Amino acid sequence: MAEVIVSPGSVVAPALTWLNVNHHGVFAAIAGFFDFWVSGIAGLLNSFDPAIVIAVLSVGALLIAGWRMGLLTLVGLAVCLCMGMWLATVQTIALVLLAVLLSMAFGIPLGIVISRNKRLQALARPVLDLMQTLPPWVYLVPAVILFGLGTVPALISTIVYGVAPMVRLTILAMTQVPRERIELGRAVGATRFEMLRKIELPSALPTLLVGVNQCILLSLAMVVLAGLVGAGGLGAEVTRGLTRLDFGLGLRASLAIVALAIVMDRVFRGAIPATYMPAKRT
Amino acid sequence: MSEFTDAFDLHVNDALMWLNDNANTLFEWVRASLDAAFRALDWLFALPPYWLVIAAVFIAGWFAVGRVFAVGAAFGLWLCQAMGLWSETMSTLTLVLSSTLSALLIAIPAGVFIGLTSGLMKTSDVVLDFIQTMPAYIYLLPGIALLGYGPTTAMWATSLVAIPPAMRLTAHGIKMAPVSLRELGAAVGMTRWQTVYKILVPCAFPSMMAGVNQSLMMAFGMVVIAGIVGSGGLGQSVYDAVRMLQIDQSINAGIAIVVLSIVLDRFSQRLVKFDTEKSHG
Repeated sequence: MAEVIVSPGSVVAPALTWLNVNHHGVFAAIAGFFDFWVSGIAGLLNSFDPAIVIAVLSVGALLIAGWRMGLLTLVGLAVCLCMGMWLATVQTIALVLLAVLLSMAFGIPLGIVISRNKRLQALARPVLDLMQTLPPWVYLVPAVILFGLGTVPALISTIVYGVAPMVRLTILAMTQVPRERIELGRAVGATRFEMLRKIELPSALPTLLVGVNQCILLSLAMVVLAGLVGAGGLGAEVTRGLTRLDFGLGLRASLAIVALAIVMDRVFRGAIPATYMPAKRT
Repeated sequence: MSEFTDAFDLHVNDALMWLNDNANTLFEWVRASLDAAFRALDWLFALPPYWLVIAAVFIAGWFAVGRVFAVGAAFGLWLCQAMGLWSETMSTLTLVLSSTLSALLIAIPAGVFIGLTSGLMKTSDVVLDFIQTMPAYIYLLPGIALLGYGPTTAMWATSLVAIPPAMRLTAHGIKMAPVSLRELGAAVGMTRWQTVYKILVPCAFPSMMAGVNQSLMMAFGMVVIAGIVGSGGLGQSVYDAVRMLQIDQSINAGIAIVVLSIVLDRFSQRLVKFDTEKSHG
C-alpha cells in the first residue's frame, strides 16, 4: 500500500491565518465586545466590598429560593472568600453568567425553530449527539486559534459547548407540549406569536429550566477548564497551582469551584416553583 | 485573611511532601504497576499493523453498530494514520482503556456493595458528587508530586475521574432490581453470594453498561487534558501544537480525537443496547 499523507490541518490552517490577517478587525471587535461585558460585570461586582456583594447575593437567593438557599449562598460564597479566591470567583461568575445568557439566546430560538420541522429534527440529532460526545478540550482549540489566549476564546467555546444541551432540551420541551393546548389556542384564534408566548413557552417551561440548569453546570465546568488557555477566574488559579506544583493553591481554587457549583445548582433549582419541577433527572 | 490561606497552602503542601517521603514505597509500587499495565497494553496495540486494526474495527462496527458507522469509523481511523498520528492514536486508546479498566475494577464491586447496603447510598453520592465537581485536572497535581510526570499520572487522574459514573449507575442498577426477583432468590434457597451473582448483577447489567459508557467518555476527556503532564498520545500532540502555534498540527490532532471519541462512544453504547435486546427477545 502506497504511503499516503493527508493533512486536513494544512488546508484549514492557511484559511484561518488568512481570516486572522484580513479580517482581524472582525475578531478584534468580537473580542472587544465580550471583554467589555466580562470586565464590566466583574468590575461592577468588584467595586463593592466582598461582604456587601455576598450579603446582596444571599438576600437575593433568599428572596427567590427560600431561606435555606439564602444561607447556602452565604456559606458557599464565604468559602470562596475565605479561600482567598474572591477576585477569581467574581470573574468566574461573570464568565458563566454571560456564557449562559448567550447560550440561551442562541439555543432557545434555535431549538424552537428545529422543533417545528421533523426533517430538521432528524438532522439535528446526530449533530447534537456528536457535540455532546466530544471532549470539551476539543472546543478550546479552534477558539484559541482564532482569538488567541485569554477570556474570549474561553467564553466562545463555553457558549458553543453550552448550546447543545440547551437546543436538545428546547426541542424536547416544545415537542412535549400537549396537543390539546395547541388546539385550544387555534380554537380561540391565537396568532402564531401569541401561541408561542402564551401557550407553548409556558407549557415547555419545566423542561426548559432543566436545560438551563444543565447549561449552567456545563458552562461552569468549561470556564474552569478554559483556565488552561489563560481565561481568568478560578480555572486560572487551578492552572497556576498545577504549573507551580503548589497543591495548596490548586486545592483552594478547587474548593471554591465546588462551593460555587453547589450554590449555582441548588439556588437555581430552588428558584423553580415546586409544581414546575419535573421528576429528578441527572 | 492571607494568613489563613498561607497556612492552608503550607499545611497542604507539607502533607503532600510527608506522603511523598513516608509512603514512597507504596507510590513507587503503584507507579511501577500502572506503568507495567500501560506498557503491556501499549505494546499489544502497537503490535498489529494499522490496516489490521482498521479492518477489525470495520468488521466489528459493521456487525455490531451499523454500516454507515463501520465505513465512517474505518475512514476516520485511516485518516488518523494518514495524518501521521497512528502511534499517538493507539497510545491514547491504551491510556483510555487501561484507565477505564482499572476504574471499573474498583467502581463495579464498590457499586454492587453500595447498592446492597441501604444506608451508604447517600454518603457515597455526596463523595462522588464532590469528586465530579472538583475540576478534573486538579487530580493531576498530587499525581505529579507523587508519581512524577508521564503516563502514570495521567492514568491515576483518569481512573479517578472514571470511577463515579460506573459506580453510581451500578449501585442504581442493583437498587432497581425488582423485589420479586430477590424474593425468588430467597425462596429457592440461594446464598447471599448467589443472589448477587445470579440475580442482581444480571438485572443491573444494562445500567452498569450505561455507566461503563459514561466512564469511558469521562476517561477520554481526561486523557486528552492529561496531555499537559506529558502523558503522550493525542492530548499531548494538541497541547504541544497549540503551544508552538502549529495550527495545522493541532487541527489534525483535534480531528483524530474526534474520530476516536466517536468510535469509542458508539461501541460502548452498543453494549447497553445489546443487553436490553437480549433480555427482551
